[in-house]
Amino acid sequence: MSQVRLAAEPRTEFGKGAARRTRRAGKIPAVLYGHDSDPKHLSLPALEFARVVREQGFNAVLSLDIANGGSELALTKTVTTHPLKNYIEHVDLLLVKRGEKVTVDVPVTVAGEPGPGTLVDQELTEIQVEADALNIPESFEVSVAGAREGFQVTAADVPLPSGVTLVSEPTTLLVKVEASPTAAQMDTGEETAPAEGESEES
Amino acid sequence: MLIPRKVKYRKQHRPVRRGMSKGGNQVTFGEFGIQALEPAYVTNRQIESARIAITRHIRRGGKVWINIFPDRPLTKKPAETRMGSGKGSPEYWVANVKPGRVLFEMNYPNEPVAREALRRAIHKLPMKCRIVTREGGEF
Repeated sequence: MSQVRLAAEPRTEFGKGAARRTRRAGKIPAVLYGHDSDPKHLSLPALEFARVVREQGFNAVLSLDIANGGSELALTKTVTTHPLKNYIEHVDLLLVKRGEKVTVDVPVTVAGEPGPGTLVDQELTEIQVEADALNIPESFEVSVAGAREGFQVTAADVPLPSGVTLVSEPTTLLVKVEASPTAAQMDTGEETAPAEGESEES
Repeated sequence: MLIPRKVKYRKQHRPVRRGMSKGGNQVTFGEFGIQALEPAYVTNRQIESARIAITRHIRRGGKVWINIFPDRPLTKKPAETRMGSGKGSPEYWVANVKPGRVLFEMNYPNEPVAREALRRAIHKLPMKCRIVTREGGEF
């Protein structure tokens, strides 16, 4: 994954009022930390950062040009978004060094059409891997083309490029192909659904 | 119908309706979901009604997840009763839903049919909602 240059400005005022003023000015409040250094409070250009996330995902390596502070390499650790309006409220950035190994969540996509009468159930959309900070894979693809009922893909089945090691449990189920439920099974779902909801909430 | 198996106290205070949803704001299990745009108490009857609306429309070949659970009891006094003499008896079980919360999720190979199923389910719910997709969370 290539590096993306972003201009960052240090923030001098804090709190929700200042954060809102920053957002109104078309910027995102951010904090940069890691490697036992003191946290740096920054503001990033909102549109440019959103474009980076949209085009390269959350694992893009950012080369930050901090005004009066030199240049730093960073990875996005957490992005806080507004629950309804879909804009980025705050970003946590993690300082990285060249050649450093980092643990990141990489998206897994499903490709291909499964066999007739089946339904693909993707249990997990990301797996955790350890990779060189400057060579993080963008995504992994899992094929379910022509798969029959009972077909499963675990984390260990995902082909990893060289230099990338799996951190997630190898037996973690990612994708399973199951028989699509019949109309009768959907109706009996009226009985089974409560148990599902209960287990999720309890 | 969804109902807690066991509760510590039969009667509770009314749940707080201020604020936005803090978690469960993204579609995580399926491809499509229903997201609340307003705060509301969603009763177990409404949840069941919405679920039936989805499953009856898609008939077969899909999967539905219910992400909320009605774990809060609401009480009600009987009609034509004078005020006082204690709190009313539990009447409803509700899920306290705040804006942003994804209530239902589903997987279905045909997107227009899935959207129609969710649209029908939204009509069974007591607040404004919208249909969201897993990929729709881009900025």
